[in-house]
Amino acid sequence: MVRHLYVHLPFCASRCGYCAFVVEVGSLGSRDAYLDALCEELRREQSGLGPLETVYLGGGTPTLMRPHRIARLLDQIAPHLADGAEISIEANPETVDRAALRQLRSAGVTRISIGAQSFQHDLLRSLERNAQPDQVRDVVACALDAGFDSVSVDLLFGVPGQTQKQLIADMHEVRALGVDHISWYELEIKPETALSRMGAQVPDEDWAADAYEAIVAELEGHGYRWYETANFARPGHECRHSLAYWSARDYLGIGVGAVSTIAHVRSRNPIDLHRYIATLGSDEPMPRTEEALDDDMVRRERWMLGLRLDDALDEEWAGPPDYPDALKKLAAAGLLEYADGQVRLTRRGRFVQNAVLHELMEYA
Amino acid sequence: MTDVPQELIRNFCIIAHIDHGKSTLADRILQLTGAVQDRDMREQILDSMDLERERGITIKAQAVRVFYTALDGKTYQFNLIDTPGHVDFSYEVSRSLAACEGALLVVDASQGIEAQTLANTYLAIEGDLELIPVLNKIDLPAADPELHGGAVAELIGVDPDSVLRISAKTGEGIGEVLEAIVARIPPPHGDPDAPSRALIFDSVYDQYRGVVAFVRVVDGEFKKGDRLLAMQTAREVIAEEVGVMGPAMTPTGILRAGESGYVVTGLKSVGDLKVGDTFTLARRPAEIALDGYREVKPMVFCGLFPLDADDYADLRDALEKLSLNDASLQWEPETSQALGFGFRCGFLGLLHMDIIRERLEREYDLELLATTPNVEYHVTTTAQDELLVRSPVDLPPPTNIESIREPYVRCTVLVPGDGVGAVMQLCQERRGNYVTMTPIEQRQQIVYDLPLAEIVTDFYDQLKSRTRGYASLDYELAGYRESPLVKLDILLAGDPVDALSMIVHKDLAYGRGKALVEALRGTIPRQLFEVPIQAAVGGRIVARETIKARRKDVLAKCYGGDISRKRKLLERQKEGKKRMKQVGSVEVPQEAFLSVLTLGSSSENSGTKK
Repeated sequence: MVRHLYVHLPFCASRCGYCAFVVEVGSLGSRDAYLDALCEELRREQSGLGPLETVYLGGGTPTLMRPHRIARLLDQIAPHLADGAEISIEANPETVDRAALRQLRSAGVTRISIGAQSFQHDLLRSLERNAQPDQVRDVVACALDAGFDSVSVDLLFGVPGQTQKQLIADMHEVRALGVDHISWYELEIKPETALSRMGAQVPDEDWAADAYEAIVAELEGHGYRWYETANFARPGHECRHSLAYWSARDYLGIGVGAVSTIAHVRSRNPIDLHRYIATLGSDEPMPRTEEALDDDMVRRERWMLGLRLDDALDEEWAGPPDYPDALKKLAAAGLLEYADGQVRLTRRGRFVQNAVLHELMEYA
Repeated sequence: MTDVPQELIRNFCIIAHIDHGKSTLADRILQLTGAVQDRDMREQILDSMDLERERGITIKAQAVRVFYTALDGKTYQFNLIDTPGHVDFSYEVSRSLAACEGALLVVDASQGIEAQTLANTYLAIEGDLELIPVLNKIDLPAADPELHGGAVAELIGVDPDSVLRISAKTGEGIGEVLEAIVARIPPPHGDPDAPSRALIFDSVYDQYRGVVAFVRVVDGEFKKGDRLLAMQTAREVIAEEVGVMGPAMTPTGILRAGESGYVVTGLKSVGDLKVGDTFTLARRPAEIALDGYREVKPMVFCGLFPLDADDYADLRDALEKLSLNDASLQWEPETSQALGFGFRCGFLGLLHMDIIRERLEREYDLELLATTPNVEYHVTTTAQDELLVRSPVDLPPPTNIESIREPYVRCTVLVPGDGVGAVMQLCQERRGNYVTMTPIEQRQQIVYDLPLAEIVTDFYDQLKSRTRGYASLDYELAGYRESPLVKLDILLAGDPVDALSMIVHKDLAYGRGKALVEALRGTIPRQLFEVPIQAAVGGRIVARETIKARRKDVLAKCYGGDISRKRKLLERQKEGKKRMKQVGSVEVPQEAFLSVLTLGSSSENSGTKK
């Protein structure tokens, strides 16, 4: 039985410069129809759902659905929830105010993740974000007041043109916010995004390494644990939904382009909004693209996901590495610790986890 | 086709530096003697290969027969033999000279004598040819006939008034040239009744007819159907067809003493026929062969590897086909640790090599990697064995080597006075030994002996660029000399990389080693562990660089929708790693090998100060 649910809410006011997600710009008139479709998909899938431990509302801009639609959605989900379920939503600062945040809390949302990205004006401009730093600070403060179990902010580093000084400024801002959880991602220039069309380049390896080491040091110095590659949390405030992904648990994804992994089959919904809505309005089954995961893929994914965590990987659960001798070599090189069947990357090892994975596993 | 007595035959060729107008003059001669109608005239018709036409040079010698009715009313048979223009092909030049009694020595009236003119003139004089000096391009504003005409006359020891002045482009003076050929070039003096002898001065492979030999008949005659004997190789062939080039191949059924033409042999490979050999009749063989046989020796080598390993068989086929028509192209299989299976090829010179590479790429559609040319070393071991070493890996350990000798060339450079310093500096940098300097006209002729290894890469380019194009070069093999040569090894993370070893002069080892390790540091990606790159001579490190360890992979997010994508990224990265060469614990991309090994790479000759 699947215990983790992801809901995709694709609507956005505009597409940010770095965004390669499945989003719908300018279709706000379809929100109700989309909500109906989501509920129908949920109904079709409900027999496979066990008591849900986590629900994640992602997007797009989920908060563009407005609190009343979120409430309606959560009502449909409620019968399937386990006690103490974590219900997360992503929020764009310019789409919520104090009242909206309170309404989301009443509707059952327990965790909110606010997309800040940066507090520097010109970086926000390069990223084509709509909110201003002041708005972000306000929304965070309101969110902290609104009674959520956890408040998180999303940040980016490695933005083209970002200086050391700007990075330090962002670190001070974050520290001052007093949130429970921080996701700090390295910017990737994905194809077909505005940034890639501009020919933007990511910073060199040594600059980026210095930057991230500084971020880790700063946040750890202020009570956050670097619990996953790009995620920091005060104890007890880790995102349980994400942890499910990194523990290779089964999950169901509903909505356009949503991905599910159930019983070693990964599938993806169609990405076209109108097709999605139309299919769920008919008798047709949802045309998902499917990928069967054989035992080797499952094993290799467990290592790939497990080594992202600060917590040790249990070799018995994950399965053996393809090159067991590499464990000793990597341990000798100070890149991981290996004892009693528990594998844990060292600080240095976490920075070069892909290279470590290639030493341990045969990916092709 | 009239039967022309020997006194009315003239066999001649045209000697000239590249671009001094040899082919244009030949075209004019063909035109004026009516051999080619004006409207049919293909530019420079004797140059039959596209490449030749493109580069404006001649590679293969051919003969054309035309008829000229002179002012004295008699009709003469002219056999014009077209000679290759480049120093690489001096053997071809001397072969075609052997088929002639005279030569037109063509000099550009605005450029004057060039190094090549000199070289080929000496060859002609050695061959006892009658030289007719011709000053071409007198139509150019920069022409200085007094100056250059005087110099040419002095060079060959004739009266300045005997130097003809022409413009092949406009046609001015061509008539005088034709008369001079009649008047000054002696007719052949073969014996029509003696046992038949013909000098093979060239050959070509025709896919329908087999090998076609170009011959100059000295004594007797050859008829279609005759059984011929090649005297040096003792091979017999049937003359399936005999004829002349008019310029198109025209069967005549017979070739007589004094004439030049072709013989269709039906042989399958030009290697079966030695150019310079003598044909005689099997039923009545001559006793003594004609002079003219000399084995050609390649001077320059390089490795040719297909970019795509699957093309290996195609490359081999292409080399086979090219060598059908080019007996001087040598090739043999070679394996490189870095580049896989390929061939080591020998060429007469750099131009020859360039032409072959271009033909392989264009005519056979092959993408190739060419590794830096090597020369052949002669090694005497302490056990008194004599070894021929072409590849550094074949060099015995230093303790077993008594001496190494490398090939030297004698280079003749012609340059205006203000370029002398640059030329001498370049030659000194390349381990040259000064021989002599002689003024010729307004220029200096400088002779240096240089190791061939120092010439084979970019010497000519450097010569040209440092003298703003004014210097010209000729060279010839000048024997082997002992040098303090050592093997330079490259080690990655302590493991030697055979593919990157090279043989260098001991004084240059440091500079070369440093350039190599720097080039490698720039092209080998960072690894999980720090990688020391070292250059070593006999176990002693002469240069080192270090590739820093990786500090950070991309720290991308990975949620439910990202898992497959991330796994596939790892799969693609792994594929990429598989294409790299594993040298010990280090992953080395092909670009790294190429940065060191290929022609034109920045690490060539970097042991010298520039």
